Amino acid sequence: MSQTTGRATSSANGQRRLPSLQTLTRELPAAAMTATGNLALRLRELTGRDVIDLESLQDLVSVGYRAVDVSKQHRAGKFDVDDYGYDREYTNTIVPLFRLLYRRYWRVDTTGLEHVPRRGGALLVSNHSGVLPFDGAMIEVAVIDETDRYPRALVASFFGTMPMLSWFLRRTGQTLGHPTDALRLLRDGELVLVFPEGVRGTGKLYSERYRLRRFGRGGFVEMALRAGVPIVPISVVGSEEIYPMLADLQPLARLFGFPYFPITPTYPWLGALGLIPLPTKWRIRFHPPVRTDEYGAGAADDPSLVMRVSDEVRDTIQAGLMADLMERRSIFRG
Amino acid sequence: MEGTRRVLITGVSRFWGCQLAKRLEADASIERIVAVDTAPPPIELRRTDFVRADTRHSLIGKLLHAIDIDTVVHAGLIVDPRRAGARRVHETNVIGTMNLIAACSAPDSAVRKLVVKSSTAVYGAEAEDPSIWSEDMVRRAPARDSFTRDLDEVEGYVRDFSLRKPDAVTTLLRFANVLGPTHDTPFSRLFDLPVIPTVIGFDPRLQFVHEADAVAALEEAVLRDHPGTYNVAGSGVVILSQAVRMIGKPNLPVLPFVGAGTLVGVINRLVPLGFPTHLTRLLQFGRVVDTSALRDRFGLTLRYSTPETVVEHARSRRARNAMPDRPHDARETELEDFLRTQSRPSANGHRRTARSRPRARSTRRSTRRVPGGER
Repeated sequence: MSQTTGRATSSANGQRRLPSLQTLTRELPAAAMTATGNLALRLRELTGRDVIDLESLQDLVSVGYRAVDVSKQHRAGKFDVDDYGYDREYTNTIVPLFRLLYRRYWRVDTTGLEHVPRRGGALLVSNHSGVLPFDGAMIEVAVIDETDRYPRALVASFFGTMPMLSWFLRRTGQTLGHPTDALRLLRDGELVLVFPEGVRGTGKLYSERYRLRRFGRGGFVEMALRAGVPIVPISVVGSEEIYPMLADLQPLARLFGFPYFPITPTYPWLGALGLIPLPTKWRIRFHPPVRTDEYGAGAADDPSLVMRVSDEVRDTIQAGLMADLMERRSIFRG
Repeated sequence: MEGTRRVLITGVSRFWGCQLAKRLEADASIERIVAVDTAPPPIELRRTDFVRADTRHSLIGKLLHAIDIDTVVHAGLIVDPRRAGARRVHETNVIGTMNLIAACSAPDSAVRKLVVKSSTAVYGAEAEDPSIWSEDMVRRAPARDSFTRDLDEVEGYVRDFSLRKPDAVTTLLRFANVLGPTHDTPFSRLFDLPVIPTVIGFDPRLQFVHEADAVAALEEAVLRDHPGTYNVAGSGVVILSQAVRMIGKPNLPVLPFVGAGTLVGVINRLVPLGFPTHLTRLLQFGRVVDTSALRDRFGLTLRYSTPETVVEHARSRRARNAMPDRPHDARETELEDFLRTQSRPSANGHRRTARSRPRARSTRRSTRRVPGGER
């Protein structure tokens, strides 16, 4: 209706053509982007610095568009998930959000990405902290952007009981920390990201930050040995301060079935606001891989070897943390 | 080639047994098929001898001996507990299997092959489960319901048999949930509901096997020797919300993520939905099995993958709704019989009796329903 009336008036008066509703909806986003672009330029002229970050804005807009696209596909019943429930399309719509955190919020400096194998299986091993596992997400963004490979993180099994979160993690390629899952993924040539500290790591108090916990029972080394894939140690600095955990209320944790109940300067006092992580400056360092293929078959059944390799990986990560901490001047500026 | 094999099939009154018997009838290598159950088969079987017997009774051993059975197919496990009370399920599944396997492993028995139909339900469905189950993996958590517990026991008896008779071929097939045009299963009933209830905040991975593929796997196990345990499921997975969309119905997340089983149990008491409580955990946490052994060692490529099975099921349901003349309702069968008897006298010019009129009208009403049933 509006289209025809629009045409009629424009042809009759010969004046400026009124755009139809369809063209309007088609061109509005682009027009809005140009307008914001102009605004950003003017603000920069006025204040002398970037007030509106255009790149991030573009990312956000693209996330919106993609999300609409994917949900349309899903409504039509067109999912493409693998046996673990991983949906690459869906993941691609989510990654830009985390990329925003990576670039703008935590301003992550990443070194040593050349140590991540470009093909074949590999086990990425990192320190773990920060109450909520943002460190995993940041490592994944770093690897995705550099190598276009999508690492699959093993998450604590208690995430499987969480509504929403459990399917979100599966949809984005994570799977539960079960040894057979990891072995299967490694044998299929995937990058698997593990945090041997587990919930003992994320539940660390602020006073214990950057002090690595026991690396489980070396199960991750066993998996790497069985699959014959290299282990890439990763040290992450900055993540251990995003939620400074002052106390752990175990009785409450037990009540809710969580592994810990954190008390931070903002949580639970500010409610959901207290869940906003602090904007610390991060460094992620990928260390040279530890090879496991030279040990031969049966090595995985030798506990002394497993513990030796486990300690070697742990020491590498701890040394990396110490080196980065010594270089760091400020928690927030880096 | 003259057939020499003599096969005994249990559970022939239900889908699995009778469909397998029908398939085996076409095979020349099988000399004789004996079907055992407490109720007669629902379809017409040409050369299968039906024996009304209870697998729980030791007479089954005498039967095995008398006919010199060499292959026993135990397809009588009840995996859909709505069909019987909990007590009868336990009796049939555990005691029946125990007795049948005792008969098979008797020192004078000629049985040299045992094929057992089990279910992937033995793996359970828990939050902390591995993503993919292969045949050698065992559930960590103890069974939560009597059905799964029974299944454990049944598989224990099968293992005992393979140990006691190492020269016999023992094949244990673990089937995923079956979908298809004819077989009535918990999931087919769930998908027949106008809106499909799901668990809030959970969207599990599921696997299905098409009924034709399920019977083909049983047949293959009978005809050729494949000792061992095999998962039988269509390749790939579907997410529940995806399956619901394929079926073309709205998805209604109403079941709470704590205590969904109890809630469904209570609802089942009030309105017979026919969705067993042990499957609510499946609706929450899902289950996926490794089917590479079926493909590589068993050597069977299923016709339908898991997504294809769901699509095929949806298609067959639409067809069923659109097709009026298929007797899927006892009343309609009666009606058709009635029409058949009525058509002859009316052709002869007889007047219809007064009694027939209301029924004839009801026929018209049922045919008028047809266009609405389409799409």
